[in-house]
Amino acid sequence: MSYEMIAIMMFSSMMLMLMTGQRVFGVIGGVAAVASLALWGTGGSDLPFSAAMKLMKWYPLLTLPMFIFMGYVLSESKLADDLYRMFHVWMGPVNGGLAIGTIGLMVLISAMNGLSVAGMAIGATIALPELLRRNYDKRMITGVIQAGSSLGILVPPSVVLVLYAMIARQPVGQLWLAGVIPGLMMAGLFILYIYIRCKLQPQLGPALGDEHRNISMSEKLRLLNAGLLPLGIFAVMMVPFVNGWTSLVESSAIGALAALLTAVFKGRMTKQVFETTIRQTLAITCMFMWIILAAMGFGAIFDGLGAVRAIDDLFTEQLGLNPWVILILMQLSFLVMGTFLDDTAMLVIVAPLYVPLVRHLGFDLIWYGVLYTITTQIAYMTPPFGYNLFLMRAMAPPEIGVRDIYVSIVPFVLVMIIALALILFFPQIALWLPNYIYQK
Amino acid sequence: MMYGLFVIFGVLLWSSISKTFFLPSLWTLEIAQFAMVAYYILGGPFSLQIGANVRMDLFYGGWTDRKKAWFDAFSILLLIFYLGVLLYGAIDSTTYSLQYNERSPTAWRPLLWPIKIIMCVGIFLMLLQAISEFFKDIAKLKGKEI
Repeated sequence: MSYEMIAIMMFSSMMLMLMTGQRVFGVIGGVAAVASLALWGTGGSDLPFSAAMKLMKWYPLLTLPMFIFMGYVLSESKLADDLYRMFHVWMGPVNGGLAIGTIGLMVLISAMNGLSVAGMAIGATIALPELLRRNYDKRMITGVIQAGSSLGILVPPSVVLVLYAMIARQPVGQLWLAGVIPGLMMAGLFILYIYIRCKLQPQLGPALGDEHRNISMSEKLRLLNAGLLPLGIFAVMMVPFVNGWTSLVESSAIGALAALLTAVFKGRMTKQVFETTIRQTLAITCMFMWIILAAMGFGAIFDGLGAVRAIDDLFTEQLGLNPWVILILMQLSFLVMGTFLDDTAMLVIVAPLYVPLVRHLGFDLIWYGVLYTITTQIAYMTPPFGYNLFLMRAMAPPEIGVRDIYVSIVPFVLVMIIALALILFFPQIALWLPNYIYQK
Repeated sequence: MMYGLFVIFGVLLWSSISKTFFLPSLWTLEIAQFAMVAYYILGGPFSLQIGANVRMDLFYGGWTDRKKAWFDAFSILLLIFYLGVLLYGAIDSTTYSLQYNERSPTAWRPLLWPIKIIMCVGIFLMLLQAISEFFKDIAKLKGKEI
């Protein structure tokens, strides 16, 4: 059997097994174990374990539990409540202002944690009921929260970009910086969309009544303080890192500590909150790590087979495709996969395949990291089987049905595709900041 | 078991913080790495137990409990097989480390066998938990809930 055939067999048997709904890491690891034994006999038996030893030496992974911990501290201890109130008071008088404020809230939350789930949990539990009470259109705000939460993995710190950085062997710092401007640009586009839409159809997002405008200026300024908090945590974490005083891992520990201390000082860190936080952190970290562990075994076999070169050959030589066509095809395949795979699983399965291909085609890997992240997020949100849609369903109040959720995201997905296209054609949007900072 | 995991988490946090505030030394990063490995390998059975691992729920989500149990009872064999191979490799590698006193190729040069033994234990526990899940599925098919 040719190497290409083996690779395709492995891939398709993995897909088939995934369909049965078995745990993702079990499927990937199982297929890898079977393949390594079949290919190299007893010599292949050490392969899955040597992946574990290799994994140990990837020290950026140490940031994973830290960022997950931060995210859970923020969402469990309800630190975000104050933030929400700040936006509520300041943005309320504008048509659609609360929805715009929610996007702002999401940007700040994104700057404090690296997963999109935390932003969604905060949005759905704090902002959503409040917006419904103010007669905002439910379809619009559901979309707002989902779109906003997608910023979580683009604005640093981002767990997905850390994983990408390891697989693509690119510096995490540059990747994070590359995510900043596209992230803010996307937030800007969302806000623009909400603003125009609410100008045209004021009934979608009515402005707040007079009783809300009578809040005194000092009260308003006091609430503005709440906004300093996330910026503070962000600065404490990022400044030493960008300046090279601490390593990435150390910065993440400082960030986690900062979040924890804030929660303690605000009196929000009860014993129960602490316990849920730690338990959730453990569960989520283990989930990530085992998937990565299994996928590394899988990837090692692919490497051993030279499957990447085979696939590369297939696309560039045999089919004679233009690099840009290949790039767009790759993004489309992400969209398809994103409908049924978790973004981490997708990254660890596909990136070892795609990243060398992208490099071979001569594209910038940092730029591709940003493209990849946005594409996954779109994939994540698109029906019929977006992962975010299910999460939203689980967290949203009962009056919001599945149909509402599906319809709600359409305009935002369009906005995201516009953002993706912009970055695709103007790579400088992503690359300007890291180049500027690192060339000094 | 669960409180042991709290300890591991504490160690990880502590070791990362200490290296920020005290002199950077050679050993903290590796200790943190070892702690991380111990953390997720030993935490694995726990995540399996509470069902935190992602599944692809394209079809799975819509099935009845009985159908889920049927598929799981078969597909978990693959997981058990994987863990078995993993354990085999782990034991192989640990005996090698014990025999030759293998050290990590870094400036600190710690012995590698202690962490490998922890990994063996963790993977073994994971295997036990997977087998327990297997029996739970079978019990469910027979109409009994464990």
